[in-house]
Amino acid sequence: MKRISLLLTIFTLFVGCKNETKSTSASEVQELNVYTHRHYDSDKQLFEMFEKQSGIKVNVINSKADELIQKMVLEGEQSPADVLITVDAGRLHMAKEKGLLQPVSDKKIIDSIIPSNLIDKDYNWVALTKRARVLVYAKDRVDPTSLTTYENLVLPEWEGKLLFRSSSNIYNQSLMASIVANDGEETAKKWAVGMVENQARKPKGNDRDQIKAVAAGEGDIAVVNTYYIGKMLNSNDRTELEAADRVAVFFPNQNDRGTHINVSGIGVAKHAPNIEAANQFVNFLLSEEAQEVFALSNYEYPVNSNVEKSEVLKSWGDFKEDALHLNKLGELNKKAVILFDEAGWK
Amino acid sequence: MKQVGSNKESFSLKNRLQRGIRDLNKWTVFTVLILLFIAVPVITIFFKLFDGPGESWEHITNYLLIDYLKNSLYLSFLCTLITLFSGVFSAWIVTRFEFPLRTYLEWLLIIPLAIPGYIMAYAYAGFFDYGGIFSWLLSPLGIENLKLDMMNVVGLSFVLGISLFPYVYVSARAFFLTQALNLLEASRLLGVSETKSFFKLVFPLARPAIVAGLVLVLMEVLNDYGAAEYYGVNTFTTGIFRSWFSLEEPETAIYLSALLLSIVFVLIILEKYQRRKMQYTTPKSGKTSIDHRIKLSYPKQIVLCVLVSLPVILGFVIPVIQLVQWAVRTFNEVFNKDLLWLSLQSFGIAFVAACFTVLFALLLLYFSKWNKIYSVQSASKLGVLGYAIPGAVVAIGVMVPTLSLDKSFIEWGWASKFIINGTLIALVYAYVVRFLAVAYQPLESSSLKVNSSIPDSSKILGMGNFKTFFKIEFPLLKAGMLSAFILVFIDILKELPLTLILKPYHINTLAVNAYGYASDEMVMHASIPSLFIILTALIPVIVLNKLLLKNG
Repeated sequence: MKRISLLLTIFTLFVGCKNETKSTSASEVQELNVYTHRHYDSDKQLFEMFEKQSGIKVNVINSKADELIQKMVLEGEQSPADVLITVDAGRLHMAKEKGLLQPVSDKKIIDSIIPSNLIDKDYNWVALTKRARVLVYAKDRVDPTSLTTYENLVLPEWEGKLLFRSSSNIYNQSLMASIVANDGEETAKKWAVGMVENQARKPKGNDRDQIKAVAAGEGDIAVVNTYYIGKMLNSNDRTELEAADRVAVFFPNQNDRGTHINVSGIGVAKHAPNIEAANQFVNFLLSEEAQEVFALSNYEYPVNSNVEKSEVLKSWGDFKEDALHLNKLGELNKKAVILFDEAGWK
Repeated sequence: MKQVGSNKESFSLKNRLQRGIRDLNKWTVFTVLILLFIAVPVITIFFKLFDGPGESWEHITNYLLIDYLKNSLYLSFLCTLITLFSGVFSAWIVTRFEFPLRTYLEWLLIIPLAIPGYIMAYAYAGFFDYGGIFSWLLSPLGIENLKLDMMNVVGLSFVLGISLFPYVYVSARAFFLTQALNLLEASRLLGVSETKSFFKLVFPLARPAIVAGLVLVLMEVLNDYGAAEYYGVNTFTTGIFRSWFSLEEPETAIYLSALLLSIVFVLIILEKYQRRKMQYTTPKSGKTSIDHRIKLSYPKQIVLCVLVSLPVILGFVIPVIQLVQWAVRTFNEVFNKDLLWLSLQSFGIAFVAACFTVLFALLLLYFSKWNKIYSVQSASKLGVLGYAIPGAVVAIGVMVPTLSLDKSFIEWGWASKFIINGTLIALVYAYVVRFLAVAYQPLESSSLKVNSSIPDSSKILGMGNFKTFFKIEFPLLKAGMLSAFILVFIDILKELPLTLILKPYHINTLAVNAYGYASDEMVMHASIPSLFIILTALIPVIVLNKLLLKNG
């Protein structure tokens, strides 16, 4: 036993040291350190594509955005982070507020690819992909003509029929922030109270669970992100397929401001040791070939409008997006959480 | 320490100080040094209490705190019941009686610990979900599409309890295995029934061991986040993360953690204070291990076997069946050879970090024993608090001091980049800080069993502390050390938030891999890395369990 443990210790130290020497001798080889909240297989594919194309080695730290931001704050000027990728605009806004980001260098290229409401006003971050927060309803029990807006979900006819997840969820917070921005604080709070009054059960589970609950009849309407439905429709689990089959997608607010979208996005770190590589990486992720990977493998909407959507997304048709500037979502995120708590949305 | 002299004398501050100086020895200094090393991150967090919370504190107390506290208390209460019941009884039956499959059940009872809490939560929710295995099992009975709702406080308590009871099981069993059997024999000779002697004699005697396990369970329950979040149960830790992530105030999050720390610290001190009144040592002579188990009639043996199998079925078989079902479906997408390499890395890291953790726990325990100042002994409890706070907060506690050290190194020109952070040093250090309690508790409870008269006589005969330790206490502590090692190893294997934040780029673990899928709601895909975690954990459990029985 002792011998085994000795061997193992040596082995681990060796692994540790090997990596150490690798990273020190690698100073001639260009590197890029990515702090990311996204952990999809499609992202790994993209990192590999970038490595092949540019010869720059990509190092990845995967964690929650808030933890990554805290890490960057503590690391300060010596932070090895080159870019920060998050799954919502709010966190990028927060990173910017804390002075952790710097403007991207190729503003013109980016302007030509993406609509301006998806780019930070000071170019500190840009969106990579979009997801729409839509309504999913039971085909057999809900007449889609009775659905209109997020705001109308609080009508008495939906009492005991709504399913949504916890207010800790960032997508719900972004939706709430968009309602605060569009309708004002008072109305937004009343809306949240109304939603809670109409809930079919206490908020729990993830987006997929809400869809399953609609399919099973626990409620009639759920508020979810589009790409989870896409994933369920292509799931290898029979129950998920059946559930996804029993529901349909509705894009709310088509006659006024449009359906709420949230994004995942990227920013270049303020103290990035490899600024050039970082900007090259940003441009790469916005390029058509990279955007195609995002669109096809993860059922997200590409921000590059030259890129086609996946078949599933096409089948739902085009829809009007809420053109609210994403900066607003970031600014109002905290307000949204406070209103949620006051309204009793768990 | 016993004090001589009048009350007045012993309680005046001046006398206390004088005695303190008189009793100061080198062990006091070592204890304080080790304690500082381990507790720096915890102390960093603790001092944030004085910085006060951020501006949303009022909001939290108005709308959230009471609900969170209520849920946490309820959860702790239910988990205590579940873990005590399954842990203590299974430990007792396994050590006291002979029945079929006993040798397998003995180590299978440890394994539920290897399943990360949030994976267990997903597995159970999936098992009882619409179209899940449970409803499939019931469909021949004509019950279609049934769902047993796990997603509430009771369900959460069940899931956490059934995955954490091994803490109680392991420490209770280590106690039963080595505890005086002759007391029990005596009670039997006097005509006391087996059940009565268990409740009147064994259970009270085993209290320190059981409490040690329970403390670990409760600390783990208090800092669980993944399972609670998924089940929609808001606990104190939810509050910590809500103020950090949603209200954008890390300072309030740390303040809440510090508050949690103080509560746990007070509880630990209270328990220790109460225990101080009692003496727990083995008798000086006689057999100390159970070498012959009671053989009941065959039907009764079967009953025992079923009873002990129950926690294994609930904590291991059912979740594993669910994971295997998912694994079969996602095999083509997820499985590749990298997983074997990942397992090897995870195993290596967990092994080394567990060695360090057990070593530091031993050093802390014995240095503080040899030091003669009582308050330093109490303070050494600070070292175990890392386990009570969420891993992500410990990571901050570790990063604050180590980063300032790293930055100073760069400033002084000793290094060109971070040498502690972003390498294995910070990660292993953080593991030691976080999991010291897991090693400390079983070690402490088994060290309490070593009759102090043996080492005392050895010291009177002129042996030094170290010699006495290696010649006398170390062999007696082996069982406790092995238990400690197994627990820490498994804990590190499934650890997540710390690993995510502090791991070097090139290192990856199975837990990180599983989380990548689970966090994107691809729970099914997380099943294969989760099964690998369980398999990797099985190796030391089986090997060390054999050693434990040999040494028992």
